[in-house]
Amino acid sequence: MTLIDRILKSYKLLIAIPAAITLIALLLVTFNGLNESVDLKGGTLAELTLHKSVTQAELESLLREKLGTGDVKVLSIRGERATVQFGADLDVVKVSEALRGTATINSYKSVGPVLSRQAMNQIYWAIGFAFLFMSVTVFIIFRAPVPSLAVILAAASDIIIAVGGMSILGIPLSLASVGAILMLIGYSVDTDILLTTRVLKRRKGSINERALGAMKTGVTMSISAIASMAALYLVTVFLMPEARVLSDIASVLIIGLLADILTTWLMNLGILRWYLEVKS
Amino acid sequence: MNRKVSKFIKDYRVLLLIVLVVASITAISTMGIQQGLDLQGGSLIQIQLERPVDAATMNTVTSVLDKRLNIFGVKDVKVRASGDQNVIVEIAGVQPDQVAKIVGKPGKFEAKIGNETVLTGSDIVSVQSPIITGNEWEVPFRLSPEGARKFAEAARGKAGEPVKMYLDDRLITSPEISAEVATGKPVTDVRITGAENSKAEAEVQAKEIETLLKTGSLPVKVKIVGVSSVSPELGKQFTEGALIAGLLAVLAIALILIVRYRSPLLVLPIFFTTLAELILILGAAAVIRWNIDLAAIAGILAAIGTGVDDQIIITDEVLSGEGRRTRRKFRIKDAFFIIFASAGTLIAAMLPLAYIGFSRGATGIGLLAGFAFTTVLGVLIGVFITRPVYARFIETFNVAMRK
Repeated sequence: MTLIDRILKSYKLLIAIPAAITLIALLLVTFNGLNESVDLKGGTLAELTLHKSVTQAELESLLREKLGTGDVKVLSIRGERATVQFGADLDVVKVSEALRGTATINSYKSVGPVLSRQAMNQIYWAIGFAFLFMSVTVFIIFRAPVPSLAVILAAASDIIIAVGGMSILGIPLSLASVGAILMLIGYSVDTDILLTTRVLKRRKGSINERALGAMKTGVTMSISAIASMAALYLVTVFLMPEARVLSDIASVLIIGLLADILTTWLMNLGILRWYLEVKS
Repeated sequence: MNRKVSKFIKDYRVLLLIVLVVASITAISTMGIQQGLDLQGGSLIQIQLERPVDAATMNTVTSVLDKRLNIFGVKDVKVRASGDQNVIVEIAGVQPDQVAKIVGKPGKFEAKIGNETVLTGSDIVSVQSPIITGNEWEVPFRLSPEGARKFAEAARGKAGEPVKMYLDDRLITSPEISAEVATGKPVTDVRITGAENSKAEAEVQAKEIETLLKTGSLPVKVKIVGVSSVSPELGKQFTEGALIAGLLAVLAIALILIVRYRSPLLVLPIFFTTLAELILILGAAAVIRWNIDLAAIAGILAAIGTGVDDQIIITDEVLSGEGRRTRRKFRIKDAFFIIFASAGTLIAAMLPLAYIGFSRGATGIGLLAGFAFTTVLGVLIGVFITRPVYARFIETFNVAMRK
């Protein structure tokens, strides 16, 4: 018996690995929580180009004094670039006047409470309906409850693990990371559909052989997607740190795709084998 | 081999792809690709009305705002309604502070004598260009005969009393009623005057008042609820960065495919299919004048990522089958079952986002509409146009490729 055969034999135990990681991720999100970006909690984020060198404390006190608000945080100063966050949605006119002579605004984002509440609300609906529509499509495709549920469960696990990763790494919940989560719903289901189709529909070879063939294809798919996202991540982090939209999307997808390898080939495959064993 | 090549080229799917790629390149080079504000630099200002309004009122609001911005000399402005309570203003080039100043005001004009309102914005028929003398400015305007009569009646016998002129409840000027006006003779030419600290400030102030008077008042109170802007320099950096990222992503994928398949003959067609997909997506975007912004780029990356996935599925299905033709056909059918199923789920997952984007416009999560739209567009182009051609290619040449 080869190692792979031995591993495949104990599939029921292997289901526990992604299940445990999902549980840990769930606990992390519950207790460690998620940051919310300016999009969702409201506030102002400004990227500045500094015209003279100031320290973090100097810039902070300058803005506090001129804007008359204590809720100013200079997130970073690197060379002549600075990122500043304000608690409230500030009038861009006042901010640019306060900065006159010290810095100019490179990018500015201000979100009022009305808008942030609306966005937060829409996010729940969008993710909820995306997941629901995906599930319905999966049921239509396979028309068998257990295999369909296995796919849906694997997708749910991926999302939870990805959100858990966001919690550890401090990636904020934002419109960008929500985009990544929606993308993940599509991406993660790909490999699950491949696996389920190959195992259930093919006649040739044993279940293990079919699963191994699917795994070869599926892992190539996942690794090429991870590689392209890693390229995106590295470029955004080193070349354009202001394009946080893209680096957030990339990192959430990398975590989710790594999780997908586990959930597809340990959890989804395990459930499928269990299902076929009970059926026969 | 030659026979195979000509058979491949003559396939209607291949011909269709060639025609569409040529058409897309033509469309991109003639119409250009519209870049979103985050790539070309610019501002997006989200305005909320005090209450939901009907279509006619919304029309008035957007046209008043549009007129104001034009008069103020802001170029490349797009003002559009989003739902029944929001207006979105997009401006190329960064002037969010100027725009915020001019847009957020209802522009309500009132002239009062004592506590009585004697003139409102609707009495104004025309506004002349401001006159600047040193630090002082004046904006002359003309009243309707009806307005002038109303004013004259109210002013009769009140020489020396101030006429308080308010713009958006802010007292701008309060000239005294002259003896001539106090006789009750209607005067149609009136002016608002003031003084600032400098000539430049006087110019700005006068222009603002002229604009507000000229464009009349907004029917409802408006409030700026969100501003987001990116400087042109940063936008250029984003565009370049996205290009480099896309290139590196393709290289990374190619590397992995070379390691996996060890055959350039297989990796090259995947590369070309991916390129064709990118060209078709951008071509379609050029034709329908869809804005490519950072979110749309992420969507294109997602679509292309699934495209590569699909080609891996097709390749593996065909390579794992025996060389017999019928068997290969079967395999490709199997592969397309998986491809259509995953495309279906991805589109299903994007639908809610696209719906919010189209129904609510670019507020909140609607900012991601470009992402959802390009993903769906890319996936559709892929499953119906480019991936069948790749499958056809593998089917036709696969024997030659197998060692």
